Amino acid sequence: PSPPDGGWGWVVVFGAFVSIGFAYAFPKGLAIFFKEIQDFFGTSYSEIAWVSSIMLATTYGAGPISSILVNRYGSRPVVMFGGLLCGIGMVSAAFCTSILQLYICVGFITGFGLALNLQPSVIIIGKYFLKRRPVANGLAMAGSPVMLCTLAPLNQFLFDNFGWRGSFLILGAILLNCCVAGALFRPIGAATTSVKTQATKEGKATLKEEVSKDAMEISSPMNIHTETKTEEEGERDCCEKINQYLDFSLFKHRGFLIYLIGNVLMFLGFFAPIVFLAPYAKHIGIDEYSAAFLLSILAIVDMIARPTTGIIANSKWVRPRIQYFFSFSIAFNGTCHLLCPLASGYTGLVVYSVFFGLAFGMVCAMLFETLMDLVGAARFTSAVGLVTIAECCTILLGPPIGGTLIDTFGDYKYMFIKCGAVMVLAGTFLFIMNYYNYRMLAKEKERKAKEEDPKSVRTENEGRNDWNKETAEDGPELEPLREEQEGLKKEVNGT
Amino acid sequence: SESVITAQTVNRQTQRSPSDHWVLEHDVSTPGLGPTTQELKQATKENVSNRTFVEYVVLLPGVSRTSIEKNITLDSATGIELSCRLDHKYSNLKNLQVTWKRGNETIRHINKTENSWSIQLRILDNSSLGSYSCTLKSEEELSAVFNLQVPKIEGKEKPIVSYEGDTAVMICKSFGYTPIAWTWYMTNGSEQIAINDSLLADKYAINTVSANVTHLKILKLTKEDDGVYWCEAAFELGKSKGKLTLKVLSFMVPLKPFLAIVAEAVILVTLVFLYEIYSKRKEKCAEEEKEFDQAEQLKSEESNGLENSSARHRKI
Repeated sequence: PSPPDGGWGWVVVFGAFVSIGFAYAFPKGLAIFFKEIQDFFGTSYSEIAWVSSIMLATTYGAGPISSILVNRYGSRPVVMFGGLLCGIGMVSAAFCTSILQLYICVGFITGFGLALNLQPSVIIIGKYFLKRRPVANGLAMAGSPVMLCTLAPLNQFLFDNFGWRGSFLILGAILLNCCVAGALFRPIGAATTSVKTQATKEGKATLKEEVSKDAMEISSPMNIHTETKTEEEGERDCCEKINQYLDFSLFKHRGFLIYLIGNVLMFLGFFAPIVFLAPYAKHIGIDEYSAAFLLSILAIVDMIARPTTGIIANSKWVRPRIQYFFSFSIAFNGTCHLLCPLASGYTGLVVYSVFFGLAFGMVCAMLFETLMDLVGAARFTSAVGLVTIAECCTILLGPPIGGTLIDTFGDYKYMFIKCGAVMVLAGTFLFIMNYYNYRMLAKEKERKAKEEDPKSVRTENEGRNDWNKETAEDGPELEPLREEQEGLKKEVNGT
Repeated sequence: SESVITAQTVNRQTQRSPSDHWVLEHDVSTPGLGPTTQELKQATKENVSNRTFVEYVVLLPGVSRTSIEKNITLDSATGIELSCRLDHKYSNLKNLQVTWKRGNETIRHINKTENSWSIQLRILDNSSLGSYSCTLKSEEELSAVFNLQVPKIEGKEKPIVSYEGDTAVMICKSFGYTPIAWTWYMTNGSEQIAINDSLLADKYAINTVSANVTHLKILKLTKEDDGVYWCEAAFELGKSKGKLTLKVLSFMVPLKPFLAIVAEAVILVTLVFLYEIYSKRKEKCAEEEKEFDQAEQLKSEESNGLENSSARHRKI
């Protein structure tokens, strides 16, 4: 069955909006409390900053665990459990008596809960949307800036009225709303209704064989396993068992590897400019409130840029070449950073913030969409887990390296140059490698078309050849579309 | 903005060689005034003795015709020279009368140079601090006021919120000047009572982290601890206070919004699930109807004996 591309899907997008928003914005919003907590426990600023880092590291590092759980249980229970975990983490943080306990409660527990929110939300969009997926992704990712703009003043208000302990308590309750978002993630696809199980299984089998590009040998044992699970459980190979939960065969997937390397490189320079924008503004003499306003400008432009990018990426000109669009936005982002040191005065920085917000939104909107495009919806679950744990390292390294550059040279411009150079490099790498990938995919498609089963009905063959001629220029994205239609046809014939 | 930097010669005490002098720029844009008055603070490198004077100059008139005010922060005993200098555009004013006053008291010893009038003061203790004014009278009156004060200590404008049974930490910092001692006061009604942490060691702990920073830790908070606290820094020339407010709340206060939001989340989850069950039931009814219709259709097709449909079903 093909994804509905609408209907309840938009409700799911809203749920994902909330969930993703919390996952990305919450760690940033906590910064408001740090000064007070630092005074309270008598620690240095870097010890407090570890709370944020541990939270971020856990959110990204627990990606594979999240993927495994989603593979096993589906998105909904995982998100609801994640929301519950976040709530418990923050509520227990309200009663902490040492900084170490804060690391555990806020850093690990809440971070893990947010990880269980982030991945499933992204995954379920891939299950509900295909034709309009870029739009859905763009809208859902817009949750991050919107939540940040909401959380920042809210946190300040809570802090002024309740102190940090009361605020953590109330934030724990607010995080329980992630459970509400999770409740909206109605399961779709396999194993929902009992009536059509047989047909769905066959449909799934054909779908999997055609969507997964070079893991055919893995898919077939999986199909056998789903039908004869109880008998063969003891005899299953250890690797295959792991592969069922987390698809490590993705490391042989060309598109996945390209994405992984490009993104890991990109994240080295992705977050550092945001972290240092306000300090840089203060450094060149701008007052605190105007510096904070720069970040607000960034967030607002980001908010608008994400759904807009989703719509653009969905258009029929861009969608087949969405990887190029993604590489372009990364390179554009890098160019902004490279030009930032030329900005003088407040106006220059405002212009920089606008362009940075635009570029940042463009990249984020397509971050998961391009991965889905490369590996397909079925393997996306595992792919996203593996990608986030790899990105985890560079995300954590980015700001400290930037900070070291600033401290060593006493000048912010080297940090901007480093970030800009890294991102332009990543963008160029992705552009070239995806060009290569597109060409290889086109060649594989031609090969497959020639090797087509001669026993197939003539009409079907002619139909496919017509499709091949019409859609010769399409990227791998529309392949699942076409092949799902074929799968549907076979299913209908099979009943 | 017309910022005028006036270069000043160093104080004319005896035996001063130019090599001893260095010039420090001291920006004194006091809030509310135009940014036109700038002055240079000059000091000599000689031993800090009675012969060392730090000079503060004000150029008259300023942007507007109103009186210029200048705040000078002093933390330890120094000698200073306050000068009022007339802008050379006005140098041809006739019958210029210059008076230096402190409050109502007129100061006699005025040093006059070409266009500036100054007084020298030895600031040794608190009594020497205050406001000194110079007035230049001819057709119109131009005046300037020098406010000599101890360094200000900043407390916190927003109250510190804490809870009963919890600990509160209050911090006072002095920027730029190092106090000799710190004292903490709590307000009881209208009185200010000094906090003795050795006497009430299980309640208060005063920790002077560094010379410029002091911490007051209050343990086992109760409602009575709610109120205003003062941290007082003692300098050689006087004392300065910073104000902090402590608010002690009971845990019921945040608990109410917490329970409200939890209830809201639970209700929403329940609603979502109920709606899902309801819509699934509707779907099943609709499906059963459809299947019923399909069964009817098949029966009619079979009775007509169409072979095409059965052939389609057998094919894969």
